[in-house]
Amino acid sequence: MPLFREGSATPVVNDGPVPMPLAEWFKDRSSTAVALANTDDVTSLQPRLAGLALITLHFPKFSDGRAYSQARILRERLGYRGELRATGGVLQDQLPFLLRCGFDSFESDQKGFGEALLKARTLFSVVYQPTEDGRPTVSQLRLQHRSVTLSAAQ
Amino acid sequence: MPDAHFYRYDDYDRRLVAERVEQFRDQVRRRLAGELTEDQFKPLRLTNGLYLQLHAYMLRIAIPYGTLSSRQLRKLAEISRTYDRGYGHFTTRQNLQLNWIKLEQAPDAIAALAEVDMHSIQTSGNCVRNTTADHFAGAAADEIEDPRVWCEIVRQWSTLHPEFSFLPRKFKIAITGSPNDRAAVRVHDIGLRFWRNGEGEAGFEVIVGGGLGRTPMIGKTLREFLPKDELLAYLEATLRVYNRHGRRDNLFKARIKILVHEIGAEKMREEVEAEYESMKDSALKLAPETIEAIARQFAPPPLQSKRTRVPEVEALKLEDRNFALWLKSNVAPHRAPGHAIVTASLKPAGAPPGDASAAQMEGVADIADAYSFSEIRVSHEQNLVLPHVAIEDLPAVYRALGRLGFAEANIGKITDIIACPGLDYCALANARSIPVAQRISNHFAALARQHDIGDLKIKISGCINACGHHHVGHIGILGVDKNGAELYQISLGGDVDFGHTALGTILGPAVPAERVVEAVDTLVATYLEVRTDGERFVDTYRRIGIQPFKDRVYATV
Amino acid sequence: MAKNLRGDLQVASANRLVDGMVVFLDAAAQWTDRLDRADVARDEKAAERLLERARAESATVVDPFLVAVTEDGAGRIEPLSLREKIRAAGLTFAAIAAESVRYA
Ligand code: HEM
Ligand code: SF4
Repeated sequence: MPLFREGSATPVVNDGPVPMPLAEWFKDRSSTAVALANTDDVTSLQPRLAGLALITLHFPKFSDGRAYSQARILRERLGYRGELRATGGVLQDQLPFLLRCGFDSFESDQKGFGEALLKARTLFSVVYQPTEDGRPTVSQLRLQHRSVTLSAAQ
Repeated sequence: MPDAHFYRYDDYDRRLVAERVEQFRDQVRRRLAGELTEDQFKPLRLTNGLYLQLHAYMLRIAIPYGTLSSRQLRKLAEISRTYDRGYGHFTTRQNLQLNWIKLEQAPDAIAALAEVDMHSIQTSGNCVRNTTADHFAGAAADEIEDPRVWCEIVRQWSTLHPEFSFLPRKFKIAITGSPNDRAAVRVHDIGLRFWRNGEGEAGFEVIVGGGLGRTPMIGKTLREFLPKDELLAYLEATLRVYNRHGRRDNLFKARIKILVHEIGAEKMREEVEAEYESMKDSALKLAPETIEAIARQFAPPPLQSKRTRVPEVEALKLEDRNFALWLKSNVAPHRAPGHAIVTASLKPAGAPPGDASAAQMEGVADIADAYSFSEIRVSHEQNLVLPHVAIEDLPAVYRALGRLGFAEANIGKITDIIACPGLDYCALANARSIPVAQRISNHFAALARQHDIGDLKIKISGCINACGHHHVGHIGILGVDKNGAELYQISLGGDVDFGHTALGTILGPAVPAERVVEAVDTLVATYLEVRTDGERFVDTYRRIGIQPFKDRVYATV
Repeated sequence: MAKNLRGDLQVASANRLVDGMVVFLDAAAQWTDRLDRADVARDEKAAERLLERARAESATVVDPFLVAVTEDGAGRIEPLSLREKIRAAGLTFAAIAAESVRYA
C-alpha cells in the first residue's frame, strides 16, 4: 500500500527496515523496526525503545481506535521519538487525530490522501486537548491571553 | 448573546465549530461526488449527528447541559422551518432531533446552528456524546454546585478528542450537582455526582459502567471522592482503559458496562488508577483560573427579591382548579425566595411526547424573554423548563403556556410519558412507540384523575435499545416484534431516583398493541384499590410485589 | 438490514442519497418515490436480478434491498411488513404542523 510522510503529497519510497511482529522481534531483535498488533502491550517495549527506528501500529479497520491510545502511550509516557506509522489503510478524515496522537507516516490507498495530509495539521486551528504534538490548547491560550491583558492593564 | 447567563463561545470555540462545519461540507461534497462510499461516509456523518432513518436523514443537535437561550431556541425553530418540516423532537438526552433533513442541506443547517454557538458534533458515533446535566441546574434549592460548569469543561475536552473518537462504542457522561439526582447518573457510562466531604470540600463521586439498552446495569462507584481539578485526568484515564480493553468483537458487548462487568469493578479501578497516576499532574490538571473563568459565565441571573405570597396567585388557585393542579405538578421550588421553576409540558393530551412545532418553540422563547431571563432548559423527561420565574408572574406564565398547549398539569403524572421515536421513524425499531403513548395519554387525559393517581412514570421504547428508558419506568413498555405483529412487554418497578435506582421486572407475556391501554388501566386500578395513604404506584409495587398486578392483568387481557 | 418477510413478490427499495427519501426501482432502472411504479419481481430468480440491478444503480441511493409485497386484484401492491408499510406510506400519526401551536 502507498506510504505517505508529512510534507509530501505523493507517496514516498518505502526503503526503511522491515518491521517484525512483536513476538518475533523479542526473540532476535535483529531489526530496528517492529510491527504491533493493536492488542499488543506497548509498554513491553519500554526498555528497548532507544534501539528502534520504526514502530508500526495497526488499524484493522478505521473504526477500531485502539492504536490511538498505543501511540499516545509510546510518545507521551515512554518518550519514543522514532517513526510511528499507521498501517492497515487509513483514511484522510482520520489524519487530524492521527497527527495529534504522534503518528508521522501512513499507509493509505485513498485517492487524495496526500493532498489531505498537507492540509491536515491546519484543518483545525484550535485544539482543546493537550497531547504530544505540543500545540497550545484553548485553555492555555486563554490563560496566556488573560495574563497578557492583565499585565497590559497594569 | 448579552442576555445569556451561561457559557458563551469565545473566538476559539467559534473557530473550531466553523472549521468543523467546513470539514463536514467537504465530506458531504465528496460523498455526493462519489469519492466516498457509504461505508466510509457513515461514521463521518454520524459524528456530525446525521443519521439515516426510515424516511429521511435525521439531525441530532446537542443542547449542552440542556440549557438554551431564547435566541438559540428561536434559531432552532428557524432551522426546523427552513431545513425540515417545522417541528422537532426533544429527547431524553438533551438533544433536539429533526427528522426530515436533506443531506445536501445538512452543512447549511449545521452552519446555521453555529451562528448561535451550537453544534451537532459527537451526537452520534462511537465517541463521547453530549454530556447531560440536571435540568434544574443553577436554580434548584438542593444544589451543591452548578454541574453545567463541569459539563462545559467536559464538552471542550471531549470535542474532537484525538484519542477517543473511535471508541468501542458510544460514551455518555452525566453530571448532577444535587443529592437528588435528576440526571440519572447511575445509568450512564460515567456518572458524576457532587457531594461534600468531611472537610466541606465539594468533589465528585465517579460512577462507571451504568447503562440501559440490551443489558441494563447500574453503575459502580470507582472513586468515592475525586477532587474537582483532577476531573479531566480521571476521565482520560478511564476512557483510555476502555479504549484499549473494551470489547470490539461484538457490538452488543462493547459498552464500558460490559468491560466493568467482565473484569469486575475492583480490577477496573486498579487499571484506571494506574493510568491516572501517569496523568494526574499533567497538563490535564485544571488551573483554578480555567475553572473560575468558566464558572463566572454561569453566574446566576440578577434575581430581585420578590413577594413569596402573592394574592393574585392565591385567588387564581381558588378560581381555576387546573391552575391549582399545575402549581402542584409543574412548579418546583427555586433557591431564590419569591421565585419558582416552571416545567412546560410537551405532553398535552394525545400529542407525540417531546415534539414541538416551530411556532411553539418561538412561543416558549417569547415567554422566557418576558419571565425567565431568556433561559430555557430541556429535561431528560422530554419537557422544557423555565428556570427563573417570579411567583407573581406564575398566572401570566400559565396563561401564555396554555396558549401554546404546554400548560398541561401533568408533570410526573401518568401522561408525562417518555417515548422514543419508535417504528414511525427509527430504522432499528420493532414496534411503534408514539401511537401507544398517544393512546395512553388520551385515555388518562382527565387531570383530576391523573392527580389522584399521583406520580407514575411510564416509559416506552420501540426496541431493546431502550432509548425510551423503559427499564427505569415505574411502568416500562417495550415494543417487540412477533412474526410481524407489534407486541408490548410490560415491566414494573423501575426507578432512576438516587438511592432507589432499580430496573423494572417483567410482568409477563407481551400484550398486543390494542390491549396496552387496557393493561395499564388494570395496573392503575390494582394500585388504587390497595394503596395506603401517601403511597405512590411504585411504593405500592415495592410493598406488595408483582403478583397481584400480574394476576389482574392476565385475568383480563 | 431490513427485516424481510417471506413472500413471492418483491420490489427493490433504498433511500435516496441527496435527501434520504424512500425510493423504489422502476422497470426502466430509475429510482422513483412511487411504490405503484416499482418493478415487481415475481419469483426468486427475478428477485435476485432485481437486486443486482438495484445495486448497479446505487450511486444515487443508499443500501438497496428487497421488500416483500402483496398485490391485490386491482394490481395495487403493498409491503408485507409494518416497517415497510410505514416506509412506503409515512408516519402513522399526524405530526404537528410548523405554524400550529396546538396538537390536534
Ligand atoms: C431515532 C434514532 C435513534 C437511534 C437509531 C438510536 C439508537 C440507539 C441504540 C443503538 C442504542 C443502544 C446502545 C447500546 O446499548 O449500546 C440507544 C440507546 C439509547 N438512546 Fe437512542 N437512538 C435513537 C433515538 C434516541 C432518542 C430519540 C433518544 C431520547 C429520547 C435516545 C436516547 C437513548 C438512550 C437514553 C439510550 C440508552 C442509554 C444507554 O446508552 O445505555 N435515542 N440508542
Ligand atoms: S429504542 Fe429502539 S426504536 Fe426506540 S429510538 Fe431507540 S433504537 Fe429506535
